[in-house]
Amino acid sequence: MGMEIAHIMASCMGGIRTSGDLVAWMQMTRRMRIHEAKAYVAEKLGVGIIDLTDEEIMRDIRKDLGIGTVTSIAGSPKGIRAKIKVAELLDINIRSVALFKSQMGF
Amino acid sequence: MNKEIFESAADAILRGDPEKAAEVARKGLGEGIDPLTLISDGFVPGINKVGDMFECGQLFLPELVKAANAMQRATDIVNAAIPEGEGQTRGRIIIGTVEGDVHDIGKTIVVSLMKANGFEVMDLGRDVSTDRFVEAAEQFNADIIGTSALLTTTMEGQRRLEYKLKETGLKKRFKTMVGGAPITQRWAKRIGADAFAENASEAVKQAKALLET
Amino acid sequence: MSNEITTRMGDGERVLFSAEEIREDIRVGTAQAAERAGIPALSAEEQEKLFDIIADPSRIVSVQPGEEVIVSDDGCSMSFYGGQDGGGVGAPLSRMQAVLTYERACGADTTSLGHSDYSFKPVKPIINFEANDYYNTSMVTTAPFFYGAQPNLGLYFQPDGPCPNAAELMPMGKIDAARQAQEEAAGHLTRDLVFVGSRLADVGLEGLNLDTSGSAGDADFLAALNAVARLKEKVPDLPILMGASGEFIIGMHGEVEYDGQRLAGLYPQDQVKVIETAGADIAGVAINTTTTESLPWNLSRSVTFMKAASEASNIPVHANVGMGVCGIPMMEQPPIDSVTRVSKALVQIGKADGL
Repeated sequence: MGMEIAHIMASCMGGIRTSGDLVAWMQMTRRMRIHEAKAYVAEKLGVGIIDLTDEEIMRDIRKDLGIGTVTSIAGSPKGIRAKIKVAELLDINIRSVALFKSQMGF
Repeated sequence: MNKEIFESAADAILRGDPEKAAEVARKGLGEGIDPLTLISDGFVPGINKVGDMFECGQLFLPELVKAANAMQRATDIVNAAIPEGEGQTRGRIIIGTVEGDVHDIGKTIVVSLMKANGFEVMDLGRDVSTDRFVEAAEQFNADIIGTSALLTTTMEGQRRLEYKLKETGLKKRFKTMVGGAPITQRWAKRIGADAFAENASEAVKQAKALLET
Repeated sequence: MSNEITTRMGDGERVLFSAEEIREDIRVGTAQAAERAGIPALSAEEQEKLFDIIADPSRIVSVQPGEEVIVSDDGCSMSFYGGQDGGGVGAPLSRMQAVLTYERACGADTTSLGHSDYSFKPVKPIINFEANDYYNTSMVTTAPFFYGAQPNLGLYFQPDGPCPNAAELMPMGKIDAARQAQEEAAGHLTRDLVFVGSRLADVGLEGLNLDTSGSAGDADFLAALNAVARLKEKVPDLPILMGASGEFIIGMHGEVEYDGQRLAGLYPQDQVKVIETAGADIAGVAINTTTTESLPWNLSRSVTFMKAASEASNIPVHANVGMGVCGIPMMEQPPIDSVTRVSKALVQIGKADGL
């Protein structure tokens, strides 16, 4: 268990603390290598590469875009609602989102 | 001339060709080469090369098994030419995966390479109880009991075997070797096993070393 | 810098090495990897970078800001509630709680769900339960959420499965029968992988992880490749991560091929190419740690293999950095000094796209 946390601290982008989830989506859905994925996400967010792992910058961006923040903010999207916005922001197909939308008749 | 025969012997093993191995063995003996030299300078370098190639992914299990068969044919012929009492003592090994553990792929490789190196091996398979190891070792008159464990939870079976051997006064009679993914030299030392091997080639080396002591 | 540098052996034991000893192990490790796999060794400059990472006096080290990569999950959520077999801490959490804790408390880039056996075969009879848990959890997760397990061909041989046991037949010299059994088992495995993947895809699966493919040899690896290809035909938009299980594919069969390429003996730089050809989106590389050698030796080898794989690939390549893999010491609680050094070196020198 501690090993995973050590990797996260040493090398990980930080998941929804920063933009790790967004970059991961680009690797998964578009087969982008790490630098390409980061550049793509940075462009979509209008920030620099270095900003992608900066909590101080990413927190406000995530809150404003409604794509999920690591601390729980009442009324702010998380889960599938946040993923719908992530799919739109990154212009990608997230399969759970597609299913959810079809169930909701979107 | 001997050099040519030694090279042919090694080549026959590398190719896994038992007929060729038998032919070279007979030819070597016919030309008066000392039987033990024929084995050590001809066939053994061949099987060592096979082991090295397997460890590097340049040769695969079926070829390893074929090489083992070829080695068996050659050593049977050469050993028959050695006067009684002077023959090479082949080690006898009992091997199995410990109780509760059903992983047997690594063990299979070890069995094949041990056989290829002239050991007589009784493979007890997987999920083998401590009592079964001891019982089989006595029946087989084994020199070595080798145990494999792939899980951190099943490796305790190796410790149980050590306890059992000590309890029953059999520890001095059988040498023990341990291996498997989570097994380390430190674990072997901690439980009192006589040897640890990281891989199949190492297992052969360790087994040979144990039988020399 | 002190001449006595604290490092570890592959089994986790703490040892003191001189700078020269560390440099020597780095040199020997990379040379051995290069010779084995027919790839370039690390340059003198890269070796010196690796030395700096290993010899850093800090307890933990990390990549520099801007160099971070993705950490793809291979069952970490199970480590919250599972036992020692999976490195688990036995916390009283449900599966969903564990996944969300990993995502939100740990800041994981991706999370995952998996059967506690961590093999696909046992999932087949309980697929509805797994699909239900997956679907419910996917509605509340924000980060990419995989379903993952190991293909594990071994479960298809007697007495656990329907096929004659190849591991018993082979040492008896029954090579053809052993090969046939492996081919038959691989067919069963592929069908099960496709079945599980398809059923989960029906409930919105965001990503499938075929972890540690090839652990039972080349036929195991083939089964996973075939499953990837079939799933991609059936569900083209399903992201698939396919990870390998060792520095070369063990030839338990020896002759099986994928796309004209014999699988036995393939090293990471070739493994990633066949994974890519099959249609996977992310490839995983695994190099087993040798417990009797040092961290510098093990890590130097792993970085050498990883770099070659990364350079050969067109898709993202993640390094498997679990217990006893890619230089991580082989023990239940790998020391974080080693873990973070492995992490940093694989990213900065090995050019991993993720871990």
